[in-house]
Amino acid sequence: MTIASSVKQCLANMKGIEAQLSSLYLNSLDPEAKGLFHESMLTISSVKKDLQNRVLELERHEPQYKS
Amino acid sequence: MPDWIDTVIRSFIFLAALFFMTKILGKKQISELSFFEYISGITIGSIAGEAITGLENSIIQGLLSIAIFILITLLVDYLALKSKTVRNLVDGRGTVLIKDGKVLEENLKKEKYTIDELSALLRQKDIYRVADVEFAVLEPRGTLSALLKKEHRPITPKDLQLKVPNEKEPQTIIMDGQVVDEALRSAGKSRGWLHTELAKLDLTLDNVFIGQVDSYGELSVDIYDDKMQVPSPAQRPLLLATLKKTQADLEIFSLETQDEVSKAMYKKNAKLMQETIDKLTPYLTS
Repeated sequence: MTIASSVKQCLANMKGIEAQLSSLYLNSLDPEAKGLFHESMLTISSVKKDLQNRVLELERHEPQYKS
Repeated sequence: MPDWIDTVIRSFIFLAALFFMTKILGKKQISELSFFEYISGITIGSIAGEAITGLENSIIQGLLSIAIFILITLLVDYLALKSKTVRNLVDGRGTVLIKDGKVLEENLKKEKYTIDELSALLRQKDIYRVADVEFAVLEPRGTLSALLKKEHRPITPKDLQLKVPNEKEPQTIIMDGQVVDEALRSAGKSRGWLHTELAKLDLTLDNVFIGQVDSYGELSVDIYDDKMQVPSPAQRPLLLATLKKTQADLEIFSLETQDEVSKAMYKKNAKLMQETIDKLTPYLTS
C-alpha cells in the first residue's frame, strides 16, 4: 500500500468519526456530554482538513497514485 | 336485613373511606416516619375494623372518628411544616447513639436500648464492628442510620479521582409492544426515529417487550422470543477503537514521512487526537 492510499484511508476514517460524533451530539441528552462531543467534532474536523491538504500534496508529488 | 349483608355493606364503605382518606394523607402516612403517623395509622385501622364487624355500632360514628383522626393528622402535619418546635414535639428527634466512634451510653440508656439491641440494629446494616462506625443515629421511627468511618466506606469514583460522565435516567419507550409517547418525548425522540432504530435491529414493534433509550440516545430492547439474539448497542466502543486507530496512523505517518513540514503537521494532529481520545474515553466506554 502506498503512503497516498493509507493517508486516504485515514482520511476516510476521520470522516466516519466526525459523522458519528455529530450523531452522538444530536442524540445525547446530557448537556456536558453534548458539549464535549461537539468540541471533539470540531477538533476532528480540523485534523481532517490538514489530512485533506496532505492528500492533495501527495497526489501532486506522485500523480501515478492519483485515484 | 340479615347480618351478613350489613357486614358486606360496611366493608365496602370503610374500604372506600380508608382508601380515600389515606390518599388525602399521602405517602407520608404510608412511610410512618414519625410516631404520630404510626399511632394514627394503627388507630384508624382498628376503628375501621371495629366498625365493620361490630354491627351494633353505627356506621356514622365509625366514619366520624376516622375523619377526626385524619383531620388531626393533617393539621399536625401542617403545623409541623410551619414550626420547628411542633416538629420536634410531634415527630421527635433522632438520638445520637454513636459519635466520633464512641458509644454514648447515656443516650442508649435514655432510649432504653441494650448493647445487644444496638448491635442487632448495626448488624442489620451489615456492620459487625462497633469500632467501624463514626456516627449513628436512632431515628424517631426506631431505625438506625449509621455512617461508617471513611476507610470502611465503599470506594467511589471520586476516591479514585476518576472522571465519570453524568448520566440521565433511561426512558422506557416501549412496553409490551406499545410505544409510550410520554417517555419518547422526554427522551427527545420521535416515532420516526424509533422505527428507524427498530429497522436497524431487524425488529418490528410488536416483537419488543421492553425498549429503553439511554442518555446517549441508544436503544436497547428485550424481545419476546428469548432464543433470538439482539445486538447490544456498540456504536460508542467502536468509535473509540476507530479514534485510537487513526491516532496510531497519524503517529506512523509522522515517523515515515521525510518532509519536515508534514512531519510537524502529523505530530501536531496526533497530539490533538490523543487529547480528544483522553477526553472522550469516559463517555465512550461506559
